[in-house]
Amino acid sequence: MKLSDKSWSPYVAGVLIGLLQIPAFLLINTALGTSSSYVTVSGTLASIVDPGIAQIDYVAKHLSGAKNWWQVATVIGIAIGAFISSRLSGTSRGAVSPVWSKALGTSSLAVRMLLAFVSGFLLLLGARVADGCTSGHGISGMAQLAISSFITVACMFAGGMIVALFLRKF
Amino acid sequence: MSVLTAVIIGVLMGTVFGFALEKSRVFEPGMIVGQMQMRNFIMLKVFLTAVVTGLVIIGIMHGFFGGKLYPKSLLYGADIIGGLLLGAGITLAGACPGTVFAQIGVGYKDSWLILIGGLAGALTFGYLEPTLNPILLSGGPGKLTLDTLLGVPFWMLAFGFAIALIVLLVVLEKWRPWRSDMGQNYDGDKS
Repeated sequence: MKLSDKSWSPYVAGVLIGLLQIPAFLLINTALGTSSSYVTVSGTLASIVDPGIAQIDYVAKHLSGAKNWWQVATVIGIAIGAFISSRLSGTSRGAVSPVWSKALGTSSLAVRMLLAFVSGFLLLLGARVADGCTSGHGISGMAQLAISSFITVACMFAGGMIVALFLRKF
Repeated sequence: MSVLTAVIIGVLMGTVFGFALEKSRVFEPGMIVGQMQMRNFIMLKVFLTAVVTGLVIIGIMHGFFGGKLYPKSLLYGADIIGGLLLGAGITLAGACPGTVFAQIGVGYKDSWLILIGGLAGALTFGYLEPTLNPILLSGGPGKLTLDTLLGVPFWMLAFGFAIALIVLLVVLEKWRPWRSDMGQNYDGDKS
């Protein structure tokens, strides 16, 4: 297992990710999560044109404070870490993963781009309604034995598997 | 803690997170869609291993040292509807809210659209929250955890659950070795 390897065992990666709960709990007083950072960033941007958004309690709670900006920094760090890892292994990636043309049955870039936007919207609308995503509910909530997280994760896989029936296999 | 210190810690933690996501290849759309079609098990393996590690760590910190827990409130309607929407989004995006950033880091361009769509979705929820709150996002039994529901010590249940998941992972790995799910170009494309 070297830094220049193209792939590591999923078990090594899973342990590394799980270990991040230690600094999250001890230093930041929270569990690992990523999806509320989208509220912090979109709320901050929206407040430039619509200062009234800060009157919404839910948004206001996400605008300031160490915890919110810690999570924004974490997701930016994810991009940095993935960038470094891919450079170390020389794994180059094109504009769009080749699996999409197979799964969608079309190589149209416009179709994929439209779907990417719509899926991103669903992803965060769902994560905010449920109050967490694969990290917050999945990795952190299940590790805290939270009932809400068991339900959300079960529905997440159910929703994902139903939609996957409409995609082609590759 | 100052915002600056928190941001520095966040960048460092995120870098480790992103490194692990990239090395495991779990951020690849091919792995995510393949998992949702039950043909590729990298996502489940990374996910459950992270849960197991968390169970042990939190079992020790909370069970033996009285560390605080941060569970989310149980809201049946919101958890079910939100979970279904989130899952649908994961399959169509080929990403989770966190792994989108790993895709951006390695150079996938459609992931920027997922990110923009995600910001729009989060903002839409922000505007809708006051309306949704009385219908979907309030009431419920609170931040319920399985140990209090069953009346079992947290550490005992956490360790027991961790052992059960390890057994599941061992069986899964025997049945489907992880290398066989990589694909020639490490993107989950096995055709």
